[in-house]
Order: sequence, then C-alpha cells, then structure tokens
Amino acid sequence: MNTVLQINNLCKSYEGFKLDNVSFSLQQGHIMGFIGRNGAGKSTTLKSLLNLVHPDSGEICFWGNSFKENELEIKRSIGFVAGGVDYYPRVKLKTITKATRKMYGSSWDDTAYKRYMEMFSLSENKTPAQLSAGMRVKYALTLALSHNAKLLILDEPTSGLDPVSREDLLEVFLNLADKGVTVLFSTHITSDLEKCADDITYIKNGRIMASCALRDYVNQYVVAKLTAEQLQQQAVQSASLGIRRIKGGYSCLLKRTDAPVLAQDLTAATLEDIMVHMEKEAE
Amino acid sequence: MENLLYKEFRLVTHPTVYLFWGLAAMLLIPNYPYYVVFFYCSLGIFFSCHGARENNDIMYTATLPIEKSDTVRARILFAVLIELMQFLLAAVFAMLRKQIPTLGANLAGMDANVALFGMAFVMMGIFNFVFFTAYYKDPNKVGKCFAAASIIQFLYIAAAEAAVHILPFMKYRLDTPDPEYFTLKLAVLAVGLISYVMLTIFATVKAVRSFEKLDL
Repeated sequence: MNTVLQINNLCKSYEGFKLDNVSFSLQQGHIMGFIGRNGAGKSTTLKSLLNLVHPDSGEICFWGNSFKENELEIKRSIGFVAGGVDYYPRVKLKTITKATRKMYGSSWDDTAYKRYMEMFSLSENKTPAQLSAGMRVKYALTLALSHNAKLLILDEPTSGLDPVSREDLLEVFLNLADKGVTVLFSTHITSDLEKCADDITYIKNGRIMASCALRDYVNQYVVAKLTAEQLQQQAVQSASLGIRRIKGGYSCLLKRTDAPVLAQDLTAATLEDIMVHMEKEAE
Repeated sequence: MENLLYKEFRLVTHPTVYLFWGLAAMLLIPNYPYYVVFFYCSLGIFFSCHGARENNDIMYTATLPIEKSDTVRARILFAVLIELMQFLLAAVFAMLRKQIPTLGANLAGMDANVALFGMAFVMMGIFNFVFFTAYYKDPNKVGKCFAAASIIQFLYIAAAEAAVHILPFMKYRLDTPDPEYFTLKLAVLAVGLISYVMLTIFATVKAVRSFEKLDL
C-alpha cells in the first residue's frame, strides 16, 4: 500500500505550547480522523503540512517527496480546507471560483464542480456572507473536490454542519476513498469518525498519543461503571486510565487486558469515551 | 504568475486604485506639488493590501497551487503594474499639459517634466521597499507599514520640492520646461528608473525571506 503522507518528528514551539515530535503516516485510500480537544495542536499540525506554519524541525513527505522541494506539484494534488470559506465574504462565489479555477488550469474538473454545487445546493450568485457556516464549509469542499485532488486535508470540516449535512459529507468521503482518494480530517466530533474513518491519530497537548487503525485502537479499551467504594480499590486506581463522574457512580476507562480483574459492569469503549476519559485524567 | 495576477486584479484591487489612476489628471492643475499624484497611487496599493487582510486573502492564496514565495512576488508585481499605469497616465497628462499654453510653469514645485518622473520613480521605489519589507514581516500591521512608508514619502516630497527653490541646479536645470536640458533630465529619469527597479527587487527578495518564516 502506498504511503501518501509521512510526518517525522515535527516540532514547533510557541510561547506556552509546542508540537512535540509529531509523527504519523497516512495510506492511500484511507480516511484518517485527526482528533484532539481544542488547542491540542490539530490546526498547527495541519498548517505545518503545507508550510503555512513554519516548523522548527521535522520532515514532511507527500508521496515520498519532500514538501519543501516539491511544493507546487504537491499543492496541485492536495485539497486543503481550513474550516469554511472565511475569505472574500462579499464577493460572489462565481468570482471566487473563476479565480480559483484559473489557478488549477487543466486539472480543474468543471463537471465535478457543478455536481458538488448541485449536491450541496449552492448558488454561484451568493456571497460567502450570505451562506450559513455549514454552507461555507460545503463551498470550500466543493473547491477542494473540483481539481481531482488525490489527498484532502480538512480542518474541522464537519463543524457547524447539521446532522443530515454531516452524513452527506461523510458519504462523500467514503465515495472518494473508494476511488482511491485519501482523506485526513481533524474533528472533535468523534461519532463522525466512527462512521467513516479507517485510522485515527490522537493528539494531546502537542503530542501524538496514538496513530493506528480506528478499530484496533478502540478495541484496546473498555469502560467500567463503578461505585464510590469500588473506585477506592487499589487495583482500580492503578489500572485506571481516566475516571469520570456519572449519574449513579463513576465511569472508568481501562485497558481491555486489565478489565477482568476488576470488572462487573463493562461496556466497549467508544472513541468519545477514550478521549473524554483521557483528557479528564490529564486535568 | 499570470493566473495569480488575475486573482490579484479580480479579488484584491480596491476600487480607489482606478479612481486614483484618474488623479493623474492633477498634472493639469496650474500650480501643485505633482509628486502627490504618485502618492495617491501608493494609497490605492495600501487600500488593496488592507482589503486583502480584511478578506483573509493570505490564507486563501496560501492554499492555492503556488509556492508560498509567489504570494509575495505576485502582490509586488501587482503593485508595480498599478504604479506603472499611474506613470503612464501621468505621462499622458504631462504631454496634454504642454498643449495648453495657458498652463505655464509650476510655481508650487517641480514642473511636470521628464525629471519629475525620474524623481517620482525614486519615491515609489522607496515606498515599495519600506512598505513591502515591513508588510511581509506581519501583514496584520498593514496600517503601521503604510504610515512608515508614507511619512518617508512626504519627507522625500518636502525635500525634493524644497530643493527646487533652494538648489540652483534643481531650479535652473531640472525645474524647466521640456525639452530644455533634455539630456540631463533623461539621465535623471534613467537613474530614477534604475533606482525604482533595484529598490523593488531588494524589497521582493527581503519580503519573500520574511514571508517564508511567517506563521499563518
């Protein structure tokens, strides 16, 4: 299987925050969810991929080629969407499209553009300011999907979308993946990932906590429902990866391998369970 | 670059750019500091860059299939084209002025002659250097960059116009109607043009270097 994106030891320091040796890779035709809470470093990482943020160190390769030395060719093969369209709010979409289309030249697919405009019910005569947040995301995606990008990098594409639109979008991702397009998207809506992602990369405070197949990751954990007395047990304390107060007791995230020693009321962990418990523990 | 320039003119150009091109007609004002005509051009460039910041143009452009450095080159080339158009229109009005006998010598400052264009080229070269090198260190501080560049422009205008009244060389050689001392004035134009080109190239090199390091 071809590696589309390889990131090795990416570092970037700001005052009060740093990306610490971020490394992960992405395979062709896969959908990878990039999760983490607000401020964890998702956007900084994604922007670093396109050199919009200047990394202090580290290596970024697309299709085995260094981004720095092949910026133009790589950008032609990528669709990057940072949120919705937050540029030129008072310019008609057709004018923005015209300027964008010219930049892509022969790789622009006008049939795909029209198809997505229709699918997302977008009118070219509107301006971004006249669109809702969700519609702006859809327009940004339409532009990204209209130049036959082989890799889509999307920063929070589902934020602000209603559930039906989110489902539509996830379906678009799945169809694209079937055609060999690779998708990397950041989100904190973990349920979206469970519907469509093959892999996840979880970032916490600028460090990668996990990067692997979604199923493998989720299957490592279970959630135990505990009483206050059970919570005090030494075995629980040492095995716990995170505890949350819930109605009628506590929920505790455990490695599946540790669960049999403790457990009574066990359920399979969801991605949200894992993230919430681990973040709570960090606090 | 051609497509990127299309984007600049289609999305970035502030309407005042076209209005200020029309102000080249101010060369028909009988007595006036004609350098101001070229200052208006820089004002149009500032409004365009300010609008680009408000419209989040840098993020839009950064995601297009271009090298990051081309964002800078295209914007400076865009400014240069605006400036050259201003010079071209000013030249048309300067020639028109010569056809109107009632408009005599400019008593307020330098005549609308070839030397004025040479001096104005130096002024615009300085503007490009000061404005764009500061702008690409932090495009969010576009107002501060323009304030610095325009203060220097006004100091230059004040010095150049004062020199016409104080220095005999300026008063009796350069501040004369064309074609008097034409070779000398052509030399001033050539030096001005070379200075403009050099300062703009330096500005581009420095701005590209700053922008490469900038986190968007």
